[in-house]
Amino acid sequence: MVRLKSRYLLCEVNVSDRSQLLLLDDRAIMVAVKAAVARTHGDYGAAMCSIRFCVKYLNAHTGIVFLRFPKRCYKLLWSALPFITSIETRGQKIPCFLNCLHVGGTIRTCQKFLIRYNTQQLHRMLPKCKSEEEKQQVRTAILSCSLTESKEAFEEDSESEEEEEEEE
Amino acid sequence: MSAAKVKMREKKMRNQPASVQYPSSSSNVESSTQNGADAPGTGKNADPLKGGLSEVHPSTERQKKTPHQSGWVRGHHKDGGGYTKEMPKYITAGAFARARAAEVSAMLKAVRKTTSSSRVFEALPKHMRRRAMSHNTKRLPHRLREVANRMREKSLQAGSKKKKEPAKSKSRKARRRHGNLLLEFNRRQRKNIWLETHIWHAKRFHMVKKWGYCLGDRPTYKCYRACYRAMSSHCLLQDLSYYCCIELQGDEDKLLAALSQLTSKEAGPTFAAALCLSGRRQGSVMVYRAGRYPSQPLGPVTFLWRPRTQGSVHRQLWIWAHPTLKQDLLPELQTVCQCCEAVLPPAAPVEVNPTLEAESEPENTPEAKPVPGIKRKRSRKDATGPPAKKILGDGTRLPSTPVSWRSSSNGLVINDLTMEIVRYRLIGPQSHSVLVDTLEAATGCDEVQKSQTCSLWWPQHCSDEAKMTLHQQQADIFNILKGIYSTSELPSGTVLGLTVDDPRLTLPRKRVKALPCVKQAQEVDEEKRRKLMLEGVPEPCCQSFIWEQSVRDNVTDNKISEQELNRMRSEVLVPSSRLSPTPLQGRVPILLVHQPGKQVGHEMSSWGAGWDLLLPKGWGMAFWIPLVYRGVRIGGLNMSLKHSQNKAAPHFPRDYPDCPAGMRFQEEQEAELLDKFKRHPPAKRTNYIKHGCVAPFRCPWQQLAEEWEIIVREGGSQTRTTAQADAVTEERTSQRAISITKPPSRFTVLRNRKALRLLSAWCRPTTSKGQRPCRVGELPPISCEAVTSFLSAHAMSLVWVHVSLLSKGKPEHHAMLCVPTPEDLKALGNRQGTGGPQEPPHRDHFKSRIKRRKKDPKKDPKKAATSSVTPDKPDGKKADLIFASDLDTNASKDPKSFSESSSDLVLGLWPDPLPSVASHCSRVTVGWVIQGDFSMSAGCGEALGFVSVAGLLNTLLNQTSEHKGKLLLRNPTSLHYRFAKINIEV
Repeated sequence: MVRLKSRYLLCEVNVSDRSQLLLLDDRAIMVAVKAAVARTHGDYGAAMCSIRFCVKYLNAHTGIVFLRFPKRCYKLLWSALPFITSIETRGQKIPCFLNCLHVGGTIRTCQKFLIRYNTQQLHRMLPKCKSEEEKQQVRTAILSCSLTESKEAFEEDSESEEEEEEEE
Repeated sequence: MSAAKVKMREKKMRNQPASVQYPSSSSNVESSTQNGADAPGTGKNADPLKGGLSEVHPSTERQKKTPHQSGWVRGHHKDGGGYTKEMPKYITAGAFARARAAEVSAMLKAVRKTTSSSRVFEALPKHMRRRAMSHNTKRLPHRLREVANRMREKSLQAGSKKKKEPAKSKSRKARRRHGNLLLEFNRRQRKNIWLETHIWHAKRFHMVKKWGYCLGDRPTYKCYRACYRAMSSHCLLQDLSYYCCIELQGDEDKLLAALSQLTSKEAGPTFAAALCLSGRRQGSVMVYRAGRYPSQPLGPVTFLWRPRTQGSVHRQLWIWAHPTLKQDLLPELQTVCQCCEAVLPPAAPVEVNPTLEAESEPENTPEAKPVPGIKRKRSRKDATGPPAKKILGDGTRLPSTPVSWRSSSNGLVINDLTMEIVRYRLIGPQSHSVLVDTLEAATGCDEVQKSQTCSLWWPQHCSDEAKMTLHQQQADIFNILKGIYSTSELPSGTVLGLTVDDPRLTLPRKRVKALPCVKQAQEVDEEKRRKLMLEGVPEPCCQSFIWEQSVRDNVTDNKISEQELNRMRSEVLVPSSRLSPTPLQGRVPILLVHQPGKQVGHEMSSWGAGWDLLLPKGWGMAFWIPLVYRGVRIGGLNMSLKHSQNKAAPHFPRDYPDCPAGMRFQEEQEAELLDKFKRHPPAKRTNYIKHGCVAPFRCPWQQLAEEWEIIVREGGSQTRTTAQADAVTEERTSQRAISITKPPSRFTVLRNRKALRLLSAWCRPTTSKGQRPCRVGELPPISCEAVTSFLSAHAMSLVWVHVSLLSKGKPEHHAMLCVPTPEDLKALGNRQGTGGPQEPPHRDHFKSRIKRRKKDPKKDPKKAATSSVTPDKPDGKKADLIFASDLDTNASKDPKSFSESSSDLVLGLWPDPLPSVASHCSRVTVGWVIQGDFSMSAGCGEALGFVSVAGLLNTLLNQTSEHKGKLLLRNPTSLHYRFAKINIEV
């Protein structure tokens, strides 16, 4: 079918102080990306960035961002991302850089990748834990995101049933 | 975005994760439970963070998790995704790990759950799709089958739910069977009564449910002009059976004494007018509440006295009233006649056929059960007749409801004859030829039939010599009608009683146009014709047997059915020849009543005259079809409105704003028009505020009358300008506040003959071509003293005026009638043919308020109202100044009600406390048009409406003689004023 094609960039915001990550919001990231593109590619780039560019998702805890670019010019815009050195939000300037983890054609592929990536990261965290308590918490986290897979499939259907009924 | 779109989007985004971030302003700390419910995916992330601080067990947190999620909203989140927590000081590794895990689960959910907008097979990659997958779930991969099955079941259920009721149990053939069809029809007319011609009309007309009846509004085919032509040159037929007839019986003097309380001689002839009282003419009067002559009118009625029988003072009177008037009139009649004793309908069933009754009783449908008091047609006399009977007469009335009241003190009796008598109206100059063509005076019956004892009424009458001579006289007069050129030649209101043959017998094989026959005209005696034209029908010939209940019932019960008639026709020796002898049942007593045409004004005199045909019930269709076969046009309610408009006569209930029925009509009309207005998209609506139209959907007559009364009282007889009127406005608002305590006097419509005649003479220009020389010699000329004395009596009155435009333009309903300034009149004198002045566009101050309210609906409406009241930009335009000051006074006086009213603001309409209606625009308003259209008889736009007497006289005083009676007319949707001439026609 005919549709507007986009590229979704799954990026990670890397900061030196993790607590600063919580200050982020999507508006700030949008501004930062636009500024970087304008700086590197001039007016042409800024114009490209103004059409159908959007921050689809941001998790302030993990620093995961979904960026949507038009497929036509995503490489051009992508090339400006490494030039982001800081993001200004709530009156603070957070020094950071964006690390692109994945480029997908749909949000769905990005989400799938993110699942894989996150579990992998959790597994990596486990041996590095310093205290027993931490270790325990990480372990439960890993369990929670792996165990539910089989269970959820069953649950979600029953839930959707209920929701449907409520709507009617 | 429309609501449906939003809903759709919500459904689609249900499973998508929302962004997780802290709100920009961390000041508002709300309950975390709400958060948990709103965005649990995020909440789960957040809670552990807090848990890191306050050491809440993570396990309990996890229990709180509810997988329901708020959608994924595009763009910037206003409240940060419902995330309202203070930011933690530091992050632990465990918290971070949990955040990761939460994200994973949210993403998992997003990935795994398909949104319901797509079916299971649609989500499959293309190479796995198979033909007819939606039909046969076995073609799906095994892992998806279960889900697909469930979905399929659900969609099947939804489909069946839509057409919930199963298909009708009966087949179409069964439903269309005559008896079942009648049952169905009877069921359908439980709420709204059907006229006898309903089915004929329903096939050809747009039907409306009005006044408890189903009535044809206008034909589905194009015939507006054709109907007008029919009215002015041939004949237009209407079914007016919905009009209610109330019968009064009693001694003449007692009746007159009772009825005299309802009317007044000042408004024209009353019930006691000599010609009407003799029964030779039909009269029409305006009825008021008992003893409340000018202030509380009820509405117009027509009445008909039964001619006197020798040596008896007992009289019978029929009062015909509109159904909306009946509910007010009947109690009033009961009080004046002191008839409070309801006569219950006879308890014993007067059944012709007891077996029939026994048969139809078991089935419990109330319609099919023969109930005493409701007249039913006996379509068949044999016991095997169809169980369902067609309802004749009033079917909605409960059988126990009394239809007759008797007075114990003076012996008067009131009968409610609603739906008992069919009334057809023929309008047009040729209506008499249609009647003559259709009807034939009843043939007598031969000796053999006379000798038989029979239940039919006609043979009994034939044996009576006196009755037969009377019948002969009536038939002679009826034949004279053939020689008359136009219906309007007869004296208005003439009544002719007659007995006629069943008109179905003489039905032409093809539809023909009835035309006057010249040959027959010459045959008729010239002398007799002249006498008829001058004197009308002599008194004895006005007698008819339709007045007698027993004869009416007899005729109704013994009507030959269509089927029987056709059977008899098929047995005739020569096909399509006339049945002879005429079957005895086919004699019907009827009454012909002449309807006057245009009575007022000089032009088109007696336009739209015609005949009314009164029949006993049950015979409606038997007369309708033969009439239609004479080439008449059929009109609906719409056409009767146009008829009265062309006659310049007020049309009940639309043009009686002071009557209760008229007020109800106005409310209904306003609701209807407002509803229609609101159905347009806001950008396509007319902004009536900008057009300076205060009340586009109704006419605030009371306010207009009050305002003009104050203006006149304050200003005396000085020259009035708009500026002064504005000054008065302020007082009016204050006056109104005072007048709340004492009930203000109601406005009335001026119906006093003398006063009307005087006004009419005053507003006629003394020199004008095309008008007859005025005969106003005996009337006083207009002067300050005369006006003051006139106003002392009729200050709160409105007067019915006929407005004709001088140049082009088509007036619409609720157009404003305004007073021209002297400059306007000068311009009119200088350059004939130029249009009138223009109204400067007004400003819509409510627009910003509506916008503001739309922007933040949470904001206190009261605050919004007061904040926007600030009078901005005094640009010197007068109307705006009034407006601002008005608003200020309103707001300061009664801020509460004002803020309430602002909640139902509609863009382009004034909210409820209307500003001054008289001086709102640059030209002072004196009245409104009620109905207006391009008049095909006059060839220019014509309108009918009311103006305030005080305003009109004030205007007339200041106008020079050549411009006397010239006003400006402006449509609600236009800024252009047009010059118009007003006439008060008596």
